[in-house]
Amino acid sequence: MFIHKVRWQKGSIVRLLTVGVLAVLILAVGGVASAQDGEGVLRVGMVSPENLDPATGSNDPEVLFNRTIYDYLVEVTPDGVLAPNLAYDWEISEDGLTYTFFLEEGVTFHDGSAFSAADVVFTFNRLQELGSPATSLLGEFTVEAVDDLTVAFELAGPNADFMFGVASRFALILKDGTENPNVLGSGDDLFANFNGTGPFILSEYSAGERAFFVANENYWIEGQPMLAELEFLFIDDTLTQIDALRSGVVDFIFKLDVDQVPTLEGASGITIVDRATNQHPVIRIRSDEGALGEDVRVRQAFKYATNRQELLETVQEGFGVLGNNDPIGPAYGQFFDEDIEGVPFDPEMACELIQEATGEERISTDFYVVDAFNYESLGVALQQQWEQGCIDVNILLRSESLYYADTEWLEVDLGITGWGDQPVPQGYLVQAYVTDGIFNETHFSDADVDELVAQAAVTADLDERAAIYSEISQIFAERGPVIIPWFASVVGAVSDNVSGLEMHPFPGQTDFRTVSVNE
Amino acid sequence: MNNADMRVGAGNRPPRSAFVRAVTTVGSYAAQMAKRPLSFIGTLIVIIFVVLAIIGPVIAPYSAREFIRDENGTLVRRASPSWEHPFGTDKEGRDVFSRVIWGAREIILLPGIATVVAVILGTCFGLTIGYLGGWLDEVASRILDSLLSIPALVLALVMLGTLGPSPVGIVIVVVLLYTPIVTRVIRSATLNIRDSGYVEAARLRGESTLYILFREILPGVLPALAVEAALRFSYAIFLIASLGFLGLGVQPPSPDWGRMVEEARGEYLRAPWSLWAPAGAIAFLVIGVNLMADGLRRIFRYEGGKDA
Repeated sequence: MFIHKVRWQKGSIVRLLTVGVLAVLILAVGGVASAQDGEGVLRVGMVSPENLDPATGSNDPEVLFNRTIYDYLVEVTPDGVLAPNLAYDWEISEDGLTYTFFLEEGVTFHDGSAFSAADVVFTFNRLQELGSPATSLLGEFTVEAVDDLTVAFELAGPNADFMFGVASRFALILKDGTENPNVLGSGDDLFANFNGTGPFILSEYSAGERAFFVANENYWIEGQPMLAELEFLFIDDTLTQIDALRSGVVDFIFKLDVDQVPTLEGASGITIVDRATNQHPVIRIRSDEGALGEDVRVRQAFKYATNRQELLETVQEGFGVLGNNDPIGPAYGQFFDEDIEGVPFDPEMACELIQEATGEERISTDFYVVDAFNYESLGVALQQQWEQGCIDVNILLRSESLYYADTEWLEVDLGITGWGDQPVPQGYLVQAYVTDGIFNETHFSDADVDELVAQAAVTADLDERAAIYSEISQIFAERGPVIIPWFASVVGAVSDNVSGLEMHPFPGQTDFRTVSVNE
Repeated sequence: MNNADMRVGAGNRPPRSAFVRAVTTVGSYAAQMAKRPLSFIGTLIVIIFVVLAIIGPVIAPYSAREFIRDENGTLVRRASPSWEHPFGTDKEGRDVFSRVIWGAREIILLPGIATVVAVILGTCFGLTIGYLGGWLDEVASRILDSLLSIPALVLALVMLGTLGPSPVGIVIVVVLLYTPIVTRVIRSATLNIRDSGYVEAARLRGESTLYILFREILPGVLPALAVEAALRFSYAIFLIASLGFLGLGVQPPSPDWGRMVEEARGEYLRAPWSLWAPAGAIAFLVIGVNLMADGLRRIFRYEGGKDA
């Protein structure tokens, strides 16, 4: 919708003109053409981005495309720490309601105009207007420019996640007044709407095929970017991406299917990189009245019948950490309570619970499996494990686009849902596990959980917050409606001639500014 | 087209009973098949697969969905071919040999049912419009042309995508796709026969239209029918395997060969046997059916049925 497909014929006049105009622009903006910052080209193979609007484009290729052109105010490093970007510092008032950000001086947009507080105000108001996913972390707020280089946010109430909202992947700073960000223009102004302060300038774009960037000579950090050029090749199939990396067509690929990664092991000149994330599959058992998991014993039976360790080792090929049937995983550091005892694999116990709860020897039900990642293998493996635990399931494979687009995934008794990485556990709890959560797919309703989650939202003290999350995890272990077998690692592969590349747990936020390529 | 001119001498054929003609055809078919080594091999392959489909569960060492564990309880994943696992095991730890054998059932049963239904329907339509001719033939032929212009895989994807994949849906799709093709072939074969002397004789005797269609004309179009049925069967196998590969075939964990190829696609370096076995089985069966169809065509000296 936002992108018009551009097909250039080789040698066409339009292309020559565009390249010519761009060259003149770069010369004009950059001053001396020969004073190039970087050298080398990084070529990235990735799935084609579809929604390029920074406020709403949410998947990895979309965010990667956007963060190449734009900057954040504050960003989350690969280690999960908040780091300054366009805001070199910030202050939080005593009452936790006023956040003040101090902006870098001398930053310019690609069109040459200066960056100021008005751009920040515009960007964050736009996020609110469009209902960007960032608002779930930002909460309610107003924003205004104190002076040219200072911005103040007033919060409607205490919000422990506000900084993560400011650093969320959608909060890329646009030029004040931008109407159609990242929409192709016409004639000479083809890329006028791709106007950021970021390290790279878009110079060629062909939807579904490739995007080509040149280094921003005027980038506000001295010596960055270290690359001269950056190229994205859009390859939708990960097997093809792997072949492209093997044959040297691309230098970096990410978000590989874990069962394909070992095909790269031992390949010369290629390094496999993986990072722990909070991305996880949820095997959810609907638990409202009349549903399969209404009786807590049935829910626990499913847990006893599941061998999570084996699923992690086989289906996930070991790329991840063991889950403990609640969404607050080990990657959340101090919020994760490792002392909570999980439900062990014990099929006999499962059979007993089934017998007690239903009076039947075995139960039988449909099992909806979404056709994404390795969830088909997960479904088949679970079917095998559950058979020993007196549970028979009939697998129904659903295509991702249909299953989630429809309300089917919110209605079925038993199914697998994929949940993406979120910077704080609060997001999962608010969306899926409180009574009125918008994605409460299990129809779980527990007064204790509702209260604890509401408490956590306003508890800024990290230790107090961790104690609340620990209580929630305990409730999940005793009566939660989900099985979470693992928290997946995200896996990428990078060619050995690339240095300085540190893949982000959300690969779309990988920083290319300090990457260099030795030809 | 004047069919009477093309069938010079057809009127001289003695009006034998349909039954005698059918028996003679089958008898001479077997004898002639034996003389053609390639057709013979093709027929043999088809027979072997059909036998496997019937007795498969008896000879398959494991069930199609069983995850195999060693004595310590660990899954036996990606084991290379051995006496115990002739085609190795796949990434989940299932015996590939057993899965291929169990899969023979599905890959023969589904296309088999679909082909039989399509051939029966196509024969009825083809005989009727070919024999009655006139405006009915004109209208029906135009409808057939428009149906035939729809690309097979696209129609299948759209239908199964909206209806959701199920064995019944797959059969319906294949029947919808292949009935017009069979109809057209049978119609043109009928046109060649309908003015023959023995058909004329039956009409003069005052036989009913139904009798003429099924007792006089049908035996005459049997060669075309046999070749067409065999060809349709091989295309149906391929189509259903393609749908399985695209995830629109039967649901997991059933050992559909197309789905097995899809699942093993990423295994080509680590457990290539799990890819080769189902891919090879599809190739063998399709080649076998095609060789058999080719033999039938030569024996019957039938030149039609080349359109896919």
